[in-house]
Amino acid sequence: MDLFRRKKKPRFDGGGLVLFMDVHDALKAERVLKSAGYKVSLVAPPLALRKGCDLALAITLVQQAGIERVFGEKGVFYVDIVPLGPNSAELLDIVSMTDFDDWVMVKAGNMKVTFDKESGVIVNTSGGGCPDIPYLHAELIGKKLTEAPSPKEIGFTLCALMLQRALEECLLLWQGGEGS
Amino acid sequence: MMLIAGTFPYRDLPLTVGAVSAEGESLVVEGRRLPCIQGTGAMVMAALAVTEYLKLDQPQVVIAGDIGEGKGSRAIYEYLIQNVKAVSPEVLVLHYWLPDMVQTRGLCEAVEKCARRPVMVADAASMYSAKGAGLASYFDIFTPDATEMAFLADPDATHPAYITRHLFDTDITQTPNLVATAYGNKSTAKLLLVKGAVDYVVRDGEILETVDEPDVPALEAIGGTGDAITGLVSAFVYAGLELHEAAIIAAKANRMAGKFAQATPAMKVGQIIDQFPAVFKEYLCQWRGVRYTEGGNDDRG
Repeated sequence: MDLFRRKKKPRFDGGGLVLFMDVHDALKAERVLKSAGYKVSLVAPPLALRKGCDLALAITLVQQAGIERVFGEKGVFYVDIVPLGPNSAELLDIVSMTDFDDWVMVKAGNMKVTFDKESGVIVNTSGGGCPDIPYLHAELIGKKLTEAPSPKEIGFTLCALMLQRALEECLLLWQGGEGS
Repeated sequence: MMLIAGTFPYRDLPLTVGAVSAEGESLVVEGRRLPCIQGTGAMVMAALAVTEYLKLDQPQVVIAGDIGEGKGSRAIYEYLIQNVKAVSPEVLVLHYWLPDMVQTRGLCEAVEKCARRPVMVADAASMYSAKGAGLASYFDIFTPDATEMAFLADPDATHPAYITRHLFDTDITQTPNLVATAYGNKSTAKLLLVKGAVDYVVRDGEILETVDEPDVPALEAIGGTGDAITGLVSAFVYAGLELHEAAIIAAKANRMAGKFAQATPAMKVGQIIDQFPAVFKEYLCQWRGVRYTEGGNDDRG
């Protein structure tokens, strides 16, 4: 039973897009830019702009020079920085929760994480189809939410990003927050 | 021959090709023991449950280790492209791998050279790459879940993480609409088994059957139960059932196994798969009447 379904976050509206050849570079770029204090958001590039992988980084275009400098300093490989077109989509950010009495299942997009209400231990992950998902399944199960590895750090694909989102929501619930 | 291809979650597992068997909770291929967990492992174990019960030849597998970096996936693609004509399986099942549209096109071109075209089944990321490559309708069976059904209905999406929001918002209640849209876009296989709170079996856009009993909500939380359904339907096709019959029985069997196991969200998929022989024994003839009996009687036509 779905107890609630939430929607969040307005579209990032920075006007610029960084294009990459592969997902790993995009994830690294997001990490280093956030560490450097930039506001960025992972998005799908419009088909007309797509040059490599299906993940791009929405940025504030006016900050292009500083972003290129950070990429150079941190060894981030990217294809291009372009103005953002009108048709790009953001990663799905629709979260729902199912209460199974002793357990809670959180679904973010196509990925699900289930944990024990009493102990906070992850008892299952499900959904997805990319090859890191069985690996993440094995890495996460049996670990407490607070001690589980980050799918974003050890995974490689879009499914891993969605699993990360589900895990973050589980943590918020477990720690007594209202979720985001 | 039934040939199953997919990755296993290990960095160091090389490309491995051979017959697969079950030993306890493990799969054994070429002397390597592999666990039955979410992913290709669960799918293969479920297929084995059918082939063992019906005394059919055990499946052959093409597997490699890949934790998302893509190396093992590439090895599988390349093996299949180079060898599928010679192997010429009756049923070819594609599962977890890193989606690669170019390689998928190459594989479909190679399949065209087979003396007899295999029944083509895709699930997980092999389904993503088939759709992304514009080759979905080349496949015979897809087994999406409700989210993946929205992905198939979205003409622009190349991954379920990027579904147009209005399609995703309606994924549970509007599966028939999503099915119609996907067939209209030619972005799905000839037959769909949509896995969800209600399972839909669809052929060429027509909903042939829905399955919603027994209702075991915990199955959604158990990683690998969707994979197991793919293994079931593939093996039943290999056994000679019509595609839609195989899909209906697979959906029913998975639900009944969940009921037999008294499934909870904390269970492992192996505990569900363990129930398949008992489910088959009690229900297989009733559900069809299936022409097969325990102990043999393979009348594939």
